Amino acid sequence: MLRTIVKSERVLKITFGISLFIILCMGGFAYKHVRKLVDSFNLVEHTYEVNVQLEQILSYLKDSETGQRGYLISENTEFLQPFFSGRENTNNTFARLKQLTKNDTVQQNNLKKLNTLIDKKLKALDQILTLTNENKLNSKQFNALLIEDKKIMNEIRSKVSEMINHQNELLKERKKLSTESLSNTPIIIYSVLILMLLLLLLTYFRINKNLKILKFKNGQLEVFKESTNQSEIVNKHSTWTYFTEENRYEFSDNLYRLLGEQPQSFEPNLENFYQFVHPEDVNHVTEQVTKMMETENLPFLYYRIVQKNGTIRHFKAYAKVLVSSEDNTRRVLGTTADVTEEVQSFKLLEERNLELERNNKELSSFNYVASHDLQEPLRKIQTFISRLEDKEAASLSEKGILYLDRIKKAATRMRLLIDDLLQFSRTNKSEEAFAVTNMNIMLENAKQELAEMISEKDAKITADAIPMITVIPFQIQQLFTNLIGNSIKYSKKNTPPIITISYSKVKADDVLKLKKPKYNYYHKIVFTDNGIGFEQEYAENIFVLFNRLHNKNEYSGTGIGLSICKKIVENHQGYIFAEGKINEGAIFEVFLPLK
Amino acid sequence: MKIFIKFDFTAICNKLLEEKLNELEIKYKVLGFGEIEFTEKVSQEKLDALNDALNEYGSEIVENQKSILVQKIKDTIIDMVFNDDTNINVKSSVYLAEKLDHSYGYLSNLFSEVTFTSIENFIILQKIEYTKQLITNNELTLTEIAFKLNYSSVAHLSTQFKNTTGITPSAFQRIITKRRELSNENK
Amino acid sequence: MQEEDVFIILADDDEDDRLFFEEAFDELKINTKVATFNDGVELMDYLNKENSLLPNILFLDLNMPKKSGKQCLQEIKKEARFKDIAIAIYSTSASEEDIENTFVMGANVYIKKPNDFKQLKKVLSNVVTINWQYHTSGLNKDNFLLRL
Repeated sequence: MLRTIVKSERVLKITFGISLFIILCMGGFAYKHVRKLVDSFNLVEHTYEVNVQLEQILSYLKDSETGQRGYLISENTEFLQPFFSGRENTNNTFARLKQLTKNDTVQQNNLKKLNTLIDKKLKALDQILTLTNENKLNSKQFNALLIEDKKIMNEIRSKVSEMINHQNELLKERKKLSTESLSNTPIIIYSVLILMLLLLLLTYFRINKNLKILKFKNGQLEVFKESTNQSEIVNKHSTWTYFTEENRYEFSDNLYRLLGEQPQSFEPNLENFYQFVHPEDVNHVTEQVTKMMETENLPFLYYRIVQKNGTIRHFKAYAKVLVSSEDNTRRVLGTTADVTEEVQSFKLLEERNLELERNNKELSSFNYVASHDLQEPLRKIQTFISRLEDKEAASLSEKGILYLDRIKKAATRMRLLIDDLLQFSRTNKSEEAFAVTNMNIMLENAKQELAEMISEKDAKITADAIPMITVIPFQIQQLFTNLIGNSIKYSKKNTPPIITISYSKVKADDVLKLKKPKYNYYHKIVFTDNGIGFEQEYAENIFVLFNRLHNKNEYSGTGIGLSICKKIVENHQGYIFAEGKINEGAIFEVFLPLK
Repeated sequence: MKIFIKFDFTAICNKLLEEKLNELEIKYKVLGFGEIEFTEKVSQEKLDALNDALNEYGSEIVENQKSILVQKIKDTIIDMVFNDDTNINVKSSVYLAEKLDHSYGYLSNLFSEVTFTSIENFIILQKIEYTKQLITNNELTLTEIAFKLNYSSVAHLSTQFKNTTGITPSAFQRIITKRRELSNENK
Repeated sequence: MQEEDVFIILADDDEDDRLFFEEAFDELKINTKVATFNDGVELMDYLNKENSLLPNILFLDLNMPKKSGKQCLQEIKKEARFKDIAIAIYSTSASEEDIENTFVMGANVYIKKPNDFKQLKKVLSNVVTINWQYHTSGLNKDNFLLRL
């Protein structure tokens, strides 16, 4: 929306520019036309003047002639007066004409001819006068001269009328031209005006539309402001602004509320604010705020405030500089939140965590100590039993020997339980370091540990090559030992165990039973045996501590071995699954993350 | 005239032994009847000469012969393991019988009688000792060591190492390294 | 075979364990002389006497009052006079941590106390034999590490 406003603002600017340009053009245009009008007026006047001057020449010539004729008849010299003045006036007028027509070559040529004619006429008049003074009025020469003079006069007349005609023609032509151009003027001005009107209308609509958008936006802003206010209240959140250049603060209403005060009830400045800060935190806050005013940046700041009624609240503040894109003014925008509840629940959580950790530690150390310390008396019991067996068996009755045997078996079983428990509690320790480990060596070590059992049962173990994996080495060896040992322990009587260990790399998404896998790929190691197997419904139970599927007299398990396996795999953020079929065998799948 | 002599066999024998030993310029200490200890090293020729001298009186060096042979067996084995790479492939029973010119059965019995362990065990012990030495020198990998000592596989060597010492080769190496670090710190 | 008696010392606060230990050597019929001490302090007092007869093999229980086996081990390893004593840790614990630490500190043998008397005899005779091997066959004593 804001973009459309910016866009239409640009359109408006362009429209305004165009209008301005058109008005300028129109002004120029009108000026040009008025100039043309003035020009044509001047031209008419000019033509008129030229014509008048031409007529005048004729009239002056006539004056001269008339004066001369009068003199001829009366021989009164007074008549000669106009004769001479006419001559002079003719010359003056001619000069004026020459001046007026200097731009017109045709008229100049005509003037030259006229000049010759006028000279001739004046010469003729002079000759006539000379003859008159010699009293040769009746001479043949005089008559011829008169006729000649009349002829010249006629020629002058025709020349003058020719020139007047030419001037009139010229005027007509120019008139025609200016009329043509002047007749277009109103239509052009009119259409330009229409165009202007359209542009104005367009601009008006545009402005109107923008105004509407702005109004709408303002409305939205109002709503947003209100909802921000509300959310500030609900979230115990507030905002404030620090105007760097003016060194002035603005606090939002809710900041006052968070301090337990009425909105805008005191001047928003640091001094007033510090009065609320917890005395123990004042130094820290002052330090940070001073730093903020310099660096225009406030990293998360935690402090306490004390409301006037004595309530202590925990605050969290954060601020960042905002440089206005319009006028480059700098403001530090800050938010301050009341995090009392979070702090309290965090504290509670922390306490509970510590308690849990303590409990866990206690439990595992109890487990360790118990199993470790139980070992000692048991070991002695067992050693004494072996002493009795070796040395005193002869002096015991048959029953005594039987009881001794039973004691021995019970002690052995207890030993097994304690060993497994100890192992289980040791797998608890997570501080053991992970290392890139040759899994094949781990497997080899596991086989070595079980060497006696393997050769006794004639077990066949085949394994794929497993790549190096980052694991806790001794735990993985334990895992392998337990799984292989489990397979051998639960083998069918009279059937040598065959254990196959296969390896593959799998994509977590392809294995549906991996719940919420954290890694994309997993190493999958599968142990398959041909033992007595188990019913699938117990597939999950077998990993539970002390959970046994068989009577302890049949199979000598403690119900801890597979729990250890599960714990180890979980320590590695992996998965273990069991699959079984009665009398066919069991499959154990181990998934270890590929990091 | 008939007299009876009460022989002090011990004194006679000791006197005889003393004479012969002095003849051969051997320094010694009498520990008990028929039991002496040389206080300095005695060459094989001298021992043979002593034996010859005693033979005239129907006596011979008993234990010494056996222990010398045992010592020879040991020396041969150590030599075979530590120095004679080429012969490590030969069966040790054949090798010992050839080198010492006795039947293996005789050597084996004699060895067990004197040392309470078997020749086989002794060989294994020596091989593992050599392995330890090679491991601590950091010159060869375990695979190379297994090959050098004619083991069929690293696993075989590891197993034997573990069986003999109770710890794995890598644990051994780790411990020795840490020990050296510790003693360097203390210096 | 004319060897001098092997002199063996055991420091263990547990009366039963001392009994088993002595009986085992009695039955083993190796020429041994066994002395026992009830704790680390007694042991060190004896060893530190100038003219005391030093053992060929010293068996140390780890968990003893007053002075633990580890402390004894540390003190013994500092003293050049004791450098020929083979040290065997003799403990109920078989934690890898204890084993590795004591080996690093200079123990030669680590024995987890067996829970069968025959086994105990076997283990003890093994230690004496191997120690004798190291003694007589010129083996590098630095490499003498044995876990039983």
